[in-house]
Amino acid sequence: MSSPSPWHTIGRHDVLPATKHDDRARFDIVAHLNAQIAQTLSPRVKTAYEARARQAFRLRHGRDPVDRHEVAEAMQREPAYRVFSLVRRNTMEIRQHAGRQLVARQAEALRDRAKWANDGARTLQLDPTLEAPRYVSAVDTHLMRGGYTAERMTDDVTNPANYDAGMYTTTGGAGGPWNDAAGRALVDWLKREHPQFNPRRIVDLGCGLGHNTLPLRAAFPEADIVAIDVSAPMLRYGHARARSLGVSDVTFMQADATKTPLEDSSSDLVFTTMVLHETSRQALPQIFLESHRLLRAGGLTVHLEQPPYRGLDPFEQFMRDWDGRFNNEPFWSALHESDLPALLVKAGFGAGNVFESRCSALPPSQTVIKNEDFGRAPSWYVVGAWQAAKGIASLG
Amino acid sequence: MDHSLPQIADPIPRATPAETGRRPEAPQFTDDPMLDRLYGVTLALVSELAVTRSRLDALERVLARRELVDQDEVEAFVPEPAAADARSRLQAEYLERVLRALE
Repeated sequence: MSSPSPWHTIGRHDVLPATKHDDRARFDIVAHLNAQIAQTLSPRVKTAYEARARQAFRLRHGRDPVDRHEVAEAMQREPAYRVFSLVRRNTMEIRQHAGRQLVARQAEALRDRAKWANDGARTLQLDPTLEAPRYVSAVDTHLMRGGYTAERMTDDVTNPANYDAGMYTTTGGAGGPWNDAAGRALVDWLKREHPQFNPRRIVDLGCGLGHNTLPLRAAFPEADIVAIDVSAPMLRYGHARARSLGVSDVTFMQADATKTPLEDSSSDLVFTTMVLHETSRQALPQIFLESHRLLRAGGLTVHLEQPPYRGLDPFEQFMRDWDGRFNNEPFWSALHESDLPALLVKAGFGAGNVFESRCSALPPSQTVIKNEDFGRAPSWYVVGAWQAAKGIASLG
Repeated sequence: MDHSLPQIADPIPRATPAETGRRPEAPQFTDDPMLDRLYGVTLALVSELAVTRSRLDALERVLARRELVDQDEVEAFVPEPAAADARSRLQAEYLERVLRALE
């Protein structure tokens, strides 16, 4: 990982919060702190594990730790891990605080700019009667106060504005100026693995503010694209952002990904990017069922996530689980222990049509990243399934 | 002239358990909760010092570009009353930021 890109290289659009020198400098030091965590503190945790903690565990148990829980037991008193965690957690707190200050002082201006950009467009379809599921509304995801759905005034967009402005600091710019690396990675994967696939209707479930929706627009200019989320603030901001970037034909629709108002067999591509780990044990299989319901024969569902823990070295499992323990990601651990291919089969996809893969926003030759900060590099696990002709799926 | 420190609070306060029905989340990484707070303040100071140094760097470069920087004048600088008030507000905001971890 190289030095983080300065914040001022972020892509500009009309609803991005206005920043002053110190706001930008504050985001820059947060990005540098994150780089320092990945390059210096994280390797020290591994050294401490290999040099001391694993040995102490061996002395107590006569064997190595076999899973992340046993690594956690071995590491809980290890100063290197505590310092890593203290710095990583506080860096996230500082990033969130900087974002809160930035958006709170211009909340009304941001609201007005979003309203002006949205201007009653039919492509923004909000449903004031929709109640957000508790797994979204009750969690300050990534320590963002109020989470995705908080509304502090009518037509509020402060949390998505904070999310959009500050996300760059977590990735150090690795997601590109538009923070759309996952969307670009998905497009790259589709074009490379399935060059003939030309979806007419694309559905992005849990689109957030649409970072990863827009690369699909560029890649499939003829397709009808519906970006779905439960959060009205995210959709308001995302719709305004898209229009500001010249994209006025993506529909941003407020709906629950487990029960969208879209018709059966109406879509060719149903995808999510880093959404499944922010759902719940109950919602996850329902999202797969909904994907199955929406797809036409020959359609494809694809989900980008961090890799499952199965098959990973116990120490790496333990490090990857940090967000589940300390970054307000309550479903993170359970998701990464779930058998997603099996859940897709259970949702009705034929076993022979279910696949796992990898994708990356970088050309394949550049995908080896030194000291990937466990889950924050622009590279993803892909799980998905093809929809067979109706009635044949069960034979798969 | 009122010399009291302006009251500055976190612009978006943490929701209380009564409002959300959730447990307050408060991971503790050291054996002493006071030490966790000390880390929080220290790391905020680390970042704020970096911000300040960046700002000084920006200022000096802008001034140098215009051939306006004079080191002795900076050393002898005393703020006018309005500037002192602005500085007071900056300091209050600064403290709110670096003492965040104590909330």
